[in-house]
Amino acid sequence: MVSFPKERGCELSNRFRSIIAVVLAVAMLATFAALGGCTTSEEKADEGGEGAVKGGTLSQFIVEPFAITPTLAYESEGIYIVSAMFDSLVEYDPITSELQPAAAESWSPNEDASVWTFNLRQGAKFHNGREVKAEDFKYAWERMLDPAMASEISYHLLAVKGATEMLEGQATELEGVKALDDYTLEVTLAEPYPDFELVVGHPCLGPLPKEAVDADPKFDENLIGNGPFKMAEPWVHDQYVKLVRFDDYYGDEPYVDGLEFKIFKDAETAFLEFEAGNLDFTEVPSGRLADVTAKYGEAPDGYTSNPGEQVLVGPELGIYYANINNTKAPFDNPKVREAINLAINRQAISDALFDGSRKPADSISPEGILGYEAGMWPQSRYDVEAAKAALADAGYPDGEGFPTIKLLFNTGSYHDQVWQLVQADLKAIGIESELDSAEWAVYKDKLKKKEFDIARYGWVYDYPIMENALYALFYSESADNQSYYVSEEFDAQVLKARSTLDLQERLAGMREADKILGKDMPVAPIMFYSHFDLTSDRVNDFVYSPMNIPDYVHCWISESTE
Amino acid sequence: MLKYVARRILQMIPVFFGVTVILFILRAPGVLPGDPIEMLTGDRVISEVTYNQLVQKHGLDQPLYVQYVTYMKNLFKGDLGLSYKKNRSVTEIFVEKYPYTLRLALAAILIEMIVGLSVGIISAVKRYSFWDVAVTLSTSILVSLPVFWLGMLMQVLFGIYFKRWGLPYLPISGMGNPPDLAHLIMPAITLASVSTAYVARIMRSQMIDVSQQDYIRTAEAKGLKGGAVVRKHALKNALIPVVTFIGIDLGAMLAGAILTETVFNWPGIGYEIYLAITARDWPIVTGGVVIVVIAYMIINLLVDVSYAFLDPRIRYGGEAA
Repeated sequence: MVSFPKERGCELSNRFRSIIAVVLAVAMLATFAALGGCTTSEEKADEGGEGAVKGGTLSQFIVEPFAITPTLAYESEGIYIVSAMFDSLVEYDPITSELQPAAAESWSPNEDASVWTFNLRQGAKFHNGREVKAEDFKYAWERMLDPAMASEISYHLLAVKGATEMLEGQATELEGVKALDDYTLEVTLAEPYPDFELVVGHPCLGPLPKEAVDADPKFDENLIGNGPFKMAEPWVHDQYVKLVRFDDYYGDEPYVDGLEFKIFKDAETAFLEFEAGNLDFTEVPSGRLADVTAKYGEAPDGYTSNPGEQVLVGPELGIYYANINNTKAPFDNPKVREAINLAINRQAISDALFDGSRKPADSISPEGILGYEAGMWPQSRYDVEAAKAALADAGYPDGEGFPTIKLLFNTGSYHDQVWQLVQADLKAIGIESELDSAEWAVYKDKLKKKEFDIARYGWVYDYPIMENALYALFYSESADNQSYYVSEEFDAQVLKARSTLDLQERLAGMREADKILGKDMPVAPIMFYSHFDLTSDRVNDFVYSPMNIPDYVHCWISESTE
Repeated sequence: MLKYVARRILQMIPVFFGVTVILFILRAPGVLPGDPIEMLTGDRVISEVTYNQLVQKHGLDQPLYVQYVTYMKNLFKGDLGLSYKKNRSVTEIFVEKYPYTLRLALAAILIEMIVGLSVGIISAVKRYSFWDVAVTLSTSILVSLPVFWLGMLMQVLFGIYFKRWGLPYLPISGMGNPPDLAHLIMPAITLASVSTAYVARIMRSQMIDVSQQDYIRTAEAKGLKGGAVVRKHALKNALIPVVTFIGIDLGAMLAGAILTETVFNWPGIGYEIYLAITARDWPIVTGGVVIVVIAYMIINLLVDVSYAFLDPRIRYGGEAA
């Protein structure tokens, strides 16, 4: 397991490590040059082990984002663009999720992790040429908390002292954030929070130049950031967002000249454009993984693509699960929930829908998360006999006397098929159920009003920490606790773990909390999300992280052979 | 005639108010399930503070009739409100997108008229010939093809395979930057396909019908040549049902074309309104429907007026004939 030193200085070893990995991958590729058949191997072989060439524009499929400004972006489409245009104080390693310096060169907490000091890099510039100062972070964060902005992602900052007051309109300034000087940002939290350094790695917590925001009423569509790419022109809605390399960027210079996010309504159309050679990064159309992989080759680690190894299916930090209504009989009985957990054939669902590419969920915490340990939810496995036994223990031998239940999910996507399979699995242990397919509006309504038995639910991590799911989904007071699970034991444990200073102890505490859940089984995990994407045969060393953030800086485009 | 047009325009006013009132009734709590603000954050639950901020921002804390009055006041200033989901001005969205929808609709109508009418006329004039049978057969196939399938078939053939074979190929999706004709061809053909087949069939049966009328016999008896009979006498009369059909079709196209827009990634208003309905994004739905209704009424009026030019027996405004 990786340990996090408290004081970090200019620690670049991770970046070097990833460069070495890239070099190795390139060397291997050069050896098997015949495989790809589309890039010219002489480009890669020499140049002191670098091999990458500059130039080209990487084009990527997205659907129309809600927002591309860090103040408001909440879905992955917007975050792709924000992450290319903005640097937060720290960033996550694209593969290991370890912290690396970004806009901040170094940082340190006080003794109880309630006050954090970030030392900003000097000379780093905004796209308008002005130097990035500590004030710009304070301004950006205050903008996110401004009631007039009504930002859906203001929750990122709730740990900061005074954030709630600002959000509720009782303060116009964020009390906990101070620019001690141009390059020192001091953040005081409402209470000790040792994982705060990971929170500030979120791509949306970067700085904003106040003068530019004030000057342009359309700033949020024509942004000025501090990241490796800047806007080539304002966002053209429903068509594209074009970015070009920012030449004054402080960090590694991107190889590509620019990024074009092409906006499509439909992944199928995007895939046709991909096949016609007009798109570099897109989704695999559903049900086509096998033939697409046969044609384009699979990336060995699931995250790094190269010509001939173009299909990315690495696990993401996110989970798809059956959300069980813990307030309602008979689901208030842990034995019933256990039976449901044991009844679901997760592998069959993954095989049927994703050609087995999604990993069956054996707990709520995915494998890539820091502090992960296998087997934390021992009953989250497929065992029909054990399921029947658990159901009998609960007082319903062979499902006798068990009510017919409803399986709620939102229509569309692949949910219908998942829940048909779950329905059959439940029937196998004697539980009769009906499919309750509802449009999104109705689905959300029923969840909120607790008018469901078992419902589809999904969760994608904001930060690579176990707590991000454990606390948000199961802490009794959390708004996202939609299974309405309440356990004093769990609450106490997760709160204790959350404020534990030592990383290893904190992770151990989180595992304890996870094990309490594993015993109570408030929900039934089904599968962890994975990438289902591919790049074109001219894209090299493209890394798509488990947190769904591509590394646009270190990928490169080989000359087209056409 | 002018009086008739004026009366028709006046009739639009109650229709307009009726439509907006109905749209506002749909917004009332309990009429349709789903809270538009709750739905904004995906699977995540929106925090109470943010929820209240958004409710205030969109004026949803006001009673519905106040919202209606405010909406109407703003509407006359050309302000259709702010989308819940997109965080953009609805007027801006439609000002940007309506021309795209118009472009696609007019191209499709043009294809429909040129191809549909001429094919219909040919197969009527050369009844039971090889061409007539071919037209009947191909229009039957066209009518029964799903639009999205035809679109994707063309994309794969003309976009991907033609490119691979080194033939001149067509762009697969989008409008082009700047918009060009090449990008318009496949979506327009797709959108026009079913209607063109209908137009051809209606035209054929009308022509056959008209050709059995007395006045055609009279014209022929006068010694007019076949071409002149068709042009001067048969065509104009046969056109009335076709014009009605094309008018209705154009009206429908002006409301956008969800399938064609989706397959060809055309930034029109159909998909926009469809998404807004599923998201309960009322400002876009209301604005979109208002625009579509007005467009539809105008087209209808134009169609009705055109009858007078096509059939001398139809007169508007004067004493009833």
